[in-house]
Amino acid sequence: MKQPLTLNVNGENRLLLVEPFYSLLDCLRDEARLTGSKKGCDEGDCGACTVLMDGKPVTSCLVLAHSAHDSEITTIEGLADVDGLSHVQRAFVEHGGLQCGFCIPGLIMSATGFLQANPEPTEEDVRFAIGGNLCRCTGYNRVVEAIMAAAAEMRASA
Amino acid sequence: MTTTTQFKVLEQNHPRVDAYEKVTGRAAYASDVYLPGMLACKLLPSERNHARIVSIDTGEAAALPGVRAVVTGTDFPDVRFGSGALRDRYVMPREVVNFVGEPIAAVAADDEATAQEAIELIRVEYEDIPSVVNPMAAMVDGAASVHPDLERYEGYGFTLGHNVSTLLDADRGDVEQAFRDADVVVEDVYRSQGINQGFLEPMACVADVEPSGRLVIYASTQGPYQIRAGLAGVLEMPVSRIRVVPMELGGGFGAKLRLAFEAFPALLAMRTGRPVKLVNTREEVFTMNGPRLPVTNYIRSGVMNDGTIVAREAYTIFDVGAYLGAGPNSGIGHGIGAYRIPNFRLRSYGVYTNKIYVGSYRASGVADMTFAVESHMDHIAHEIGMDPYDLRLHNALREGDVSVSGAVVPSNGLIETLEAIKEKVEWPRRLEDGHGLGLALCEWRSGSGPSTAAISINDDGTVSLLTGSTDISGSDTSLAAIAAEALGIPMSSVIVAKRDTDMAPYTGQSGGSRVVYSQGTAVQRAAEDTVQKLMALAAERLGVPEDALGCEDGRVYVMDNEPQGLTFAQLAAASITSRGGPIIGTAALSSMPYTPVFAAQAAEVKVDRDTGQIKLLRYVQAQDVGVAINPMAVEGQLDGGVVQGIGRALTEDQQFDPDNGAVRNPSFASYLMPLAIDLPEIEDVLIRVPAEDGPFGARAVAEPPGFGPPAAIANAVYDAVGVRVKQLPLSGERVLAALNGEYDDIPFDVEALRLAEGII
Repeated sequence: MKQPLTLNVNGENRLLLVEPFYSLLDCLRDEARLTGSKKGCDEGDCGACTVLMDGKPVTSCLVLAHSAHDSEITTIEGLADVDGLSHVQRAFVEHGGLQCGFCIPGLIMSATGFLQANPEPTEEDVRFAIGGNLCRCTGYNRVVEAIMAAAAEMRASA
Repeated sequence: MTTTTQFKVLEQNHPRVDAYEKVTGRAAYASDVYLPGMLACKLLPSERNHARIVSIDTGEAAALPGVRAVVTGTDFPDVRFGSGALRDRYVMPREVVNFVGEPIAAVAADDEATAQEAIELIRVEYEDIPSVVNPMAAMVDGAASVHPDLERYEGYGFTLGHNVSTLLDADRGDVEQAFRDADVVVEDVYRSQGINQGFLEPMACVADVEPSGRLVIYASTQGPYQIRAGLAGVLEMPVSRIRVVPMELGGGFGAKLRLAFEAFPALLAMRTGRPVKLVNTREEVFTMNGPRLPVTNYIRSGVMNDGTIVAREAYTIFDVGAYLGAGPNSGIGHGIGAYRIPNFRLRSYGVYTNKIYVGSYRASGVADMTFAVESHMDHIAHEIGMDPYDLRLHNALREGDVSVSGAVVPSNGLIETLEAIKEKVEWPRRLEDGHGLGLALCEWRSGSGPSTAAISINDDGTVSLLTGSTDISGSDTSLAAIAAEALGIPMSSVIVAKRDTDMAPYTGQSGGSRVVYSQGTAVQRAAEDTVQKLMALAAERLGVPEDALGCEDGRVYVMDNEPQGLTFAQLAAASITSRGGPIIGTAALSSMPYTPVFAAQAAEVKVDRDTGQIKLLRYVQAQDVGVAINPMAVEGQLDGGVVQGIGRALTEDQQFDPDNGAVRNPSFASYLMPLAIDLPEIEDVLIRVPAEDGPFGARAVAEPPGFGPPAAIANAVYDAVGVRVKQLPLSGERVLAALNGEYDDIPFDVEALRLAEGII
């Protein structure tokens, strides 16, 4: 039976009714209707569902929704501010770091969480940071390029 | 010759037209569709690989609270469908199941958990029928028959028996004489593995029934018109009663070209009067939706001592699984590769087995053929003591040669791609022990097929571009760039219309590297048609003859007096009240001339002699793209394609149980696709020899990059440690076995096939 859950998503407290067995991903998509986080495997293998939980990237398909009640969740919908895109989002656009786009919310969330903790990464660091995100279209070249560019932009504007 | 400087829009990087939606999570894929009152659909997979369905008891499932409808095969009309002419498959089996995982019942319930609970309450009684899993065994006298009534199926054109669904052939010259004349004969057998397309977005679909009874399908598809036709067939409904809305496509690579599971939610929606959503699990993607199946290639060449290849024989066995979900068509013709070989006999057999049906994937079959042909080229080089690069250059197709299909080879950049690779990797180069360098040459043709486009001028002079093609590989952005270039306006003035099968003009599927080449040509011609109409209107308004006018930068002007002219906005406003009315330019074409695409690639590897593990150190590709419509997108295609090929070379392996054909590794944890950490940076070289046809000289791009890596890496392994592995993937286990002298050649009874054909 669905249980009430107060979830802090993208800086807003949302009161939701959620089955006890629901993953955070299902809760975000089906109940909060934040469909930017994608279900590519539901087994923690692909990374398309990555969100930030208290600032750290997690695969939301492996987190029980009700266990997130004390956490701050940031999804792809929470990155763009009124002025437009975040540095990471903008870099993905400008460097062509996306094709079909299904893995992109997860990649952008992984990169965002990573860059917050590691503002001066090497290219190898970046490849490790997105080592849990599968992308079938891009071959990762331009994804890595975009994340490196975003890191530089973030340092410049810090 | 076209140069890159003459363009105002093309040959420059443009962010994708859908980039903002995608980086913000706003792009809507089929699984993102939520409709009021929507039900969830789940499927029951067959547990057997060849069995008669004695009974299916759905009573308990239907009685479960929250369950709204249950359907099985007999709820669908008694009609078969197919991927091509041959109709060998029911959308849901009526009496006989043919592979483990085949969906045999579908449930619609208030939510997914209830639907799944109901699925588990369905009781099925099976009666096993003899089955066959290995295609070689399936071709032997007395083998179990997957489709005993095959000859009675609509569209079957053969009488070969032995589970052969298709036999394609290509012959030229006197093959036997050429082999007798050859100085050296080299023979090999190669085998490539089952490959999953690996798209990140699972198959998904929402079906809704409008109050009028019209069916609306929100689909994840490369071919909305093909889904519409497929549904019309299996549901026995007129096409006019179906609307297919292609949602954002989360990867397809061929797997989403045709009707898949859309009929299940469609029938359930019609039964319940409510919208029904089906989203496959990843396990279902692996076990229900057709991947590529293993391919075995026998290849033999007659060669002169100077390196001239005079004869080629190739027999290819394509396992097609339970149904011909995609033909082995692409495979035939690639048996001679990118080379001029005057005498050849090529055969490609499609063979039924009781495992998941074969599907399409990025030029189905060609990567398998390229692995065999390009490994074989190196084998030949070593047999006759010739440098592998020189052997390729010596035999390479040239302009004016005749391709396998009989078409004359037009101007192309094959030689330039080879030379670019030679320079880039400094071939030939001696490397330290355990390191090796390998080459592969890839060939493909630009995809053809029905294409249409319409361009209308808006009242402010911007344009709306309408095509029926779903976006694939950034094609919307490329089509917008082509329209902008042809109209002489900036990209920002082109609106790419969202479309569905009701509003867009009919077109072929988005696949086979055809969108930019064929659809792009339609867009270019529609733009030219638009310009012509703008000029006619301007001539009328300015009172000058049309041939006195020029068109540039969104403006039609008098060539002798440039300040005199009218902007597109002025013309658009004028057109509303003009005799001709608002301006719309259109174009349609059914096929395009043969335009080849060539790519040369090189891999540098390090092989660990103790474990057999291959470390890929460097990968370089040079491809003739003709003209780069959007270089950033072109390189994105090249990178992504090569990385898929690297997965095919090293780690990807969809495995099947030898007894019942069931998929043994249906997850991303066990089917290993490359991650960022597994890869070096891919290096791309764009060669630009403009095509004689195609928009502004552009060639197809997307397919060839993935062909080369298996052979380039296998050749590099040989260069590194002197062993040749002829089976994919090139696992550490296989390389180590080869290093230890324990690697067995793959058996292949070519005599039996020649006998069956009466050749010997």
